[in-house]
Amino acid sequence: MIEWDKIEENYELPSLTKEPVTQLQLIKYAGASGDFNQIHTIPEFAKEAGLDGTIAHGMLSMGILGQMISSFAGIKPIRKYSVTFKSMAKPGDILTAKGIVKKKYEKDGAKLIDCKVHIEDQNGDVKVDGKVTIAF
Amino acid sequence: MLDMSFQGKEFPGYNFEVDRSKIKELCLAIGDDNPLFFDKEFAIKEGYKDTPASLTFPTVLNFWGYPEIWKRMTEMGINIKRLLHAKEDYEYFAPIYPGDIITGTVAVESMRDSAAMEMVTFKSVYKRGDETVLIAKMTIVVPGGN
Repeated sequence: MIEWDKIEENYELPSLTKEPVTQLQLIKYAGASGDFNQIHTIPEFAKEAGLDGTIAHGMLSMGILGQMISSFAGIKPIRKYSVTFKSMAKPGDILTAKGIVKKKYEKDGAKLIDCKVHIEDQNGDVKVDGKVTIAF
Repeated sequence: MLDMSFQGKEFPGYNFEVDRSKIKELCLAIGDDNPLFFDKEFAIKEGYKDTPASLTFPTVLNFWGYPEIWKRMTEMGINIKRLLHAKEDYEYFAPIYPGDIITGTVAVESMRDSAAMEMVTFKSVYKRGDETVLIAKMTIVVPGGN
């Protein structure tokens, strides 16, 4: 991980752009996570629920954002990670994870940064936004 | 319509043994190829005891550890066909590793029922023995309410 001294507010975390979301990926994600809500896997079911077709698990987007965060910092330094789900991602969407340092501070002897993080699609629409606290 | 008597209720705890293949499977589904989650030697070199669980692994603990949550939601009056995931919040205290036996306990932290929407937040506390390793909060909404 980058050194504490080299980080300053507005430092951008290395972004991550994924391959397009596929229906197969949602099937794999259902099995991996145990979230078998069929709006993610069965198109007919999604249509009955009033959607145009299947939608990605929100947690898949949070997982992709998590990939960006742990690629940057690993697992141990992550203190808090929270997100709000803003809009639905669908098969075919190309998701990009981004983050920026908003606050650098010391508290109770720990060196910390708070980052704003989000997932956007190929049109720049925000799917998920969140916050992560990382210790150095 | 939500049954507000569930406010503050804690459901029975459960145990979940963390499987190495489950850690990998979640990363494969996400498309996360970080060797930290796949290669034990790499993880040890990076200062870990073993390949740690990834940041969103709590979702595996939630759904594979306590699949009854869907039934509990129905009992609470939540229309699970129309629910949307609104927020997810994790506080990490220690990495989770393959072979760990994690005890999870879910409680209903808050409930709100209005004409515009129903909103419920569940709080899960995960322990390894006496040590709290993770606290997770999941907020779901049903638009349009009752």
